[in-house]
Amino acid sequence: MSRVYVSTVVNARNDRVWARVRDFNGLPNWHPAIAESRIEGGEPSDKVGCVRDFRLRNGDRIREKLLGLSDFDMYCTYSILESPMGVENYVATLRLTPVTDGEKTFMEWSAEFDCAPEREAELIENIGGGVFQGGFDALKRAFGG
Amino acid sequence: MPHIVKSTILEAPTGRVWEVLRDFNGHDRWHPAVATSQIERAQPSDKIGCVRRFKLKDGSELREQLLALSDLEQTFSYCLLDTPIPMFNYVAHVRLLPVTDGDRTFWHWESRFTTRPGEGERIAHMVAEDIYQGGFDAIRRHLQEAA
Repeated sequence: MSRVYVSTVVNARNDRVWARVRDFNGLPNWHPAIAESRIEGGEPSDKVGCVRDFRLRNGDRIREKLLGLSDFDMYCTYSILESPMGVENYVATLRLTPVTDGEKTFMEWSAEFDCAPEREAELIENIGGGVFQGGFDALKRAFGG
Repeated sequence: MPHIVKSTILEAPTGRVWEVLRDFNGHDRWHPAVATSQIERAQPSDKIGCVRRFKLKDGSELREQLLALSDLEQTFSYCLLDTPIPMFNYVAHVRLLPVTDGDRTFWHWESRFTTRPGEGERIAHMVAEDIYQGGFDAIRRHLQEAA
């Protein structure tokens, strides 16, 4: 099992950051790598078990299933159903925790998955350094730091 | 039941912060409220179950017991055994998490306790500001001085 973990600090209260990221169908609104997204079967995007079908700007198509969502603890957990990435048993969690000292938000994004051993380093770099950190950088820009 | 949650970001990797925090008997070297501290029965300060007996600068004496310590998770938990102020069932948890974006540290400190009716707010405010926030600020200075 491979694991990737990245974390950052966003200069805004956690409820404001959460309002931006809680929509499971909302990636195109804040993540620069995502071109479009829809929820299959016309289900609400906060219905646990719903599936998002989205397309990256590079053309890749990914389907992910919402496994858990908590407005109280501010986290979202999901799995990949279908992707060109070459990963199996992929489960990821995005979590927000308030920083009481200065009204900031500590953000963690982690994933566990199986893959061919020779591809592990490249996948960790693409997922952690590319997708996750890319999302963080966009949020930091949106919230001014 | 009062619930206290405080957290901060430190401009140092978790390893450096953990080196300071993991010593259950080390708070008299960095926390401004603590005057002296010792572990009872000369036990090592990372032995689960050990008790620290310490004096605050105001002269009051407290005893706290180490309930859990993990070098892997960089967490520890402890409870209060004796204190001159009316705090009961006090259990606190300290947790460090890495901020990979900049190699910094997220430090989370939380606790719950019970008290006499009408005392909760005053005591919670005192613990949150004087002990937890005061501790954050002190560690920040401590790390700068050590650097």
